Formats: sequence, structure tokens, C-alpha cells
Amino acid sequence: MNINFLLFLITASFLMSFGLPKNIQKKVDKEIEKTFNIETFNFTAVLIDAEINKELPSKFGENNFFKIETNNTLLGYAYLSKAPSKTAEFDYLVLLDKDLIVLKSKVLIYREDYGGEIGSSRWLRQFIGKSDSDTLILDKNIIAISGATISVRSMTNAMNDLLKSLKILQSKKIL
Amino acid sequence: MKNTLTIITILISLIAFSQTSQDSITFNPQKQLNAAQRLLSGNYGKAITVGAYGEVTYNQPEGQNGELDVQRLVLLFGYKFNDKTQFVTEVEFEHVEEVFIEQAFINYNVASNISLRGGLMLIPMGIINEFHEPTTFNGVERPAVDNLIVPTTWREIGVGVSGRFNEISLGYQAYIFNGFKSASSDGEGGINGILKGSNGLRSGRQKGIKSTVNSPTISAKLDYYGVPGLRLGLSGYFGKTQAEDDVDNIDGTTIGVSMIGLDARYAYQRFTARGQFIHADLSDTEAYNNLTGRDLGSALQGWYIEGAYNLLPQDKSQRLFAFARYEQYDTHSKTDGGLERNDAYNRNDLTTGLSYHIAPGVVLKGDYQFRDNAASGIDVANRLNFGIGVWF
Repeated sequence: MNINFLLFLITASFLMSFGLPKNIQKKVDKEIEKTFNIETFNFTAVLIDAEINKELPSKFGENNFFKIETNNTLLGYAYLSKAPSKTAEFDYLVLLDKDLIVLKSKVLIYREDYGGEIGSSRWLRQFIGKSDSDTLILDKNIIAISGATISVRSMTNAMNDLLKSLKILQSKKIL
Repeated sequence: MKNTLTIITILISLIAFSQTSQDSITFNPQKQLNAAQRLLSGNYGKAITVGAYGEVTYNQPEGQNGELDVQRLVLLFGYKFNDKTQFVTEVEFEHVEEVFIEQAFINYNVASNISLRGGLMLIPMGIINEFHEPTTFNGVERPAVDNLIVPTTWREIGVGVSGRFNEISLGYQAYIFNGFKSASSDGEGGINGILKGSNGLRSGRQKGIKSTVNSPTISAKLDYYGVPGLRLGLSGYFGKTQAEDDVDNIDGTTIGVSMIGLDARYAYQRFTARGQFIHADLSDTEAYNNLTGRDLGSALQGWYIEGAYNLLPQDKSQRLFAFARYEQYDTHSKTDGGLERNDAYNRNDLTTGLSYHIAPGVVLKGDYQFRDNAASGIDVANRLNFGIGVWF
């Protein structure tokens, strides 16, 4: 058997079994279309070596980090993950431009009532423009929301971890 | 073919390995939002949440004996049945020996940002009734407005809907709840009145303990958080109180309650402020007082305003807030019929002190309360308070 064909088969089955859930993919597509102002694009997973992964504060598994391309031109990246709220976990999306500057952050699914205020577009706007040279500090450069302390802290930590991870990946010339 | 198998095996094990390593616990203290949740981080544990909050307090009124108390210890358990369905309960120990269930409800996520809820839940009124963990407010004791006007922790059994519109930063809650209990039979043909002038509706909370229901009440709250650092709330609660079955046809055993609340919370850099105004109109109190011999007012009203400043730099994980709060509250804001207003119920407190958050979730508190009322000759003792509070 041709080894290339074999690899193709494995990759295909890998993608099929590990792709994003449909409802999430739909939301992600919508955000990408809106943010980058495009209609068609390629969305492919960026896989990070397991050894390097260990050094990263954020999770970079097979369904976390994607590159967004159109006509073979890199437009930016999408990072998806989960973070804890008071009694559950929420799914969030961060869109980055090709220089890894935050273009958009969004809470895709929030599963409890408590702390759901962090889904506010107005609040999430604070992360736009942040890059790996920024350290986010609650009450200093990130304004909190009363009554949503746990989720506010959780989302801020998640963003900080992501920025730190991107810095490590850049320093290793992976991105 | 052997090669194929090898490659597949390696790939699968790589995937499995990478997943295990990513799920491991991080020991970054800032990420320990919920220590127990992380302890239980197996596949089974992912569905379970364990948490708690507690307050150990010391009140020292001037010229009297002090009191040391494990005021409350509340254990939180949550279980996620699936992505949409969650159960949350809080088991409360008050003063060590009294056990209550503070919350026990199912939350069903019907769509993104819309949930249906049912069970024993908190009535959304003002700030503290919903947000009362000791690390979330200044002062050893909760504001008195949130004790005598809003009877925290006010919870009843009911059903409702909660949700939010993220685009306009607006949250809403609407419920049908069981109401306060106002009267029972004294067993000798008389009526036992439960509500009274000194604490308004507080004694009428049924707390889901074999609670009696005749007519449901409605409760709603809107929260707006679209201005950075600011959160505004508008709450309403309307309905009649409940009387026990054998007396509920007697005129004067129930009263009407219409309560509205406005609240605001603000945080900018090291400065935080909050304020709240609550007004409750009680109808048919004249008949109620005549029947039961009680002195229930026909209106309850209270407000407070508080400012605090973090004395430590913001990049420190510890925070030390100096705060002052002024509150004014009256359970005899109005009275009906021949009942004279009791000026001793018209009170004001000035509380000032420190809240030292030694870690996110642990607070040491100390404050002094200058307490006064509108009555001449009846003084309220000022007091010194210390407390330890935790929430995880």
C-alpha cells in the first residue's frame, strides 16, 4: 500500500473523529466570517508536539488551535477551549490575526446562570488588541463584573495562559 | 500491513498520551478557582462540583458580652447530568447546630443563554440575597437592609426562567415562588400572627420546610452590565402571603406584598462602590394587626451606600479594602390604622473597617458599627466586629 495514501486515510479518519462538534463549528464559522469579513476559508487544526504541549499553560490538543486561510494566505488563528465557571465549564473562542494579536473573544457556550455576564460583548471587548506582550491583571487593565467574580477571573486567567502559550510557541519558532 | 498497524497504534497512543497530559492539574494558585473541583478531576469528577463558604464571627457590642459564632457554613454540591442539565444544592449549617437547605434546584439549559430552573431557589432582590459569600461583600455582618427589609437568605420553592442577551449586556430572571407565611392557627380557635413590626417579613420565610401554599407570588430581576465596571439591578416581587389551610379564609390572615429594589455595583481600578434601595408596600396590615395583635408596618424601606478602596497595589494577589457604609432602614416606614410608628424601628448604621483578602477566597474582616435609631431614650449599642470568611 502506498504510504502517502495510508497517511491520507489516517488523517482523514482522524479529522472525522476529532472534528469540532457541529453546533460549535457553526458558531466558530460565523464569528470568523464576521471578524475577518470573508465567506470562504480553510480551517485546519495546528497540531503541537506533545513534549512542547507540556510546557504550555493552555491546552493545545487536536481541537484547540486552528489556522484560518484563504487562497493559501494565512489570515489568522482560532483558539478554542473550556474554562471553569462556578459549577460548570464554559466554551470560549479567541480569534487572533496572523501576528497573534487578539481580534475577538467570545463565550460560545455558558452552562450555568451564575457568572454568565462574562458573555457580554461589551466586557469581552477588553481583550481585543492584546498580544503576548500583555499581562492581564484584574481590576488593573481588565475591568471585572460584580457578581461574576469566578468566571471573570477564570476567563482572564484563560486569556493570560493563552497569551503566555503563544509567546512560548513563538519563541520556539513554531508559530 | 504490519506497518499500517504500527503507525495506527503509535498515533492512537500519542493522542491518548496528549489528552492525559493536558488534563493534568496545574498548580498555579491563581487557577485554583475551585480546589475540590480540581481534586475530583477524573472523568466522574468532571460532573461533580464541591464548594463551600463559611463565616466565623466575633461581635462585641459596647458594654455587653461579646459573641463568638460559626455563623454559617454552607456546603455546595453540584452535579452535571449532561451539557444541559445540572443540579445545584447548598446545605447550610447555621450556628453549628441548625441545618437548612439554602438552595436545591435543577437548571436546564434550553438554548444558549436561556435556562429553566425549578426547586428551592434564592429570590433575586437587591445584591446580597443572591451574592452573599463573605468574600463578596465588605463588613463582618451583611448590611442590615439585607436582613430586615430583604430577609436574606430569602429562598422559597418555585420555577422560573433565567437568561441573558449578551449583545446588550442584559440579564433577566423571572420566577413563580411560594410566598411568606403570615398566619397559623394557635390550636385554640385563635390566630397566630407570624409577621411583626421589628423585622417585617423575616419571620415569614418558609425556606422550603413543609411550606404551605395558597397563592403563588412572582419575582423578577433585570441586570444590566453594559457599562464597564458598573452593574445595575432592578428587582420586583409581588403577591400575597400564605396562611395555613384552616385559617386562610379568615379576613386578615394574609397581606399583600409589593417589593421593588434598585441596586448598583461599581468597580474601577482600586475603587469599588455599591448602593441599594428597597421599598416594600404591605397591604391589609390593619386587618392583619387587628386579628393577630401584631404591629406590622404597611411599608418597609431601606437603602445603603458604600465605598471601598484597595490599599494594596493591584498586581498583588492580596487586597486590603478600607470601606465605609451608611445605611438607613425602617420596618415602620409607614403604618396603617391606629398603629403608631415605632421610632426604634427607624434605624441607621455607619459601618467602617477593613477587609483583608489574604488569598482569592479568604478574607479577614474587622469593622466598627455606629448604630442609632430615631427613638429618644432607646439606644442601640455600637459594636466592634471581627470575622474570618472563606469561599471556594
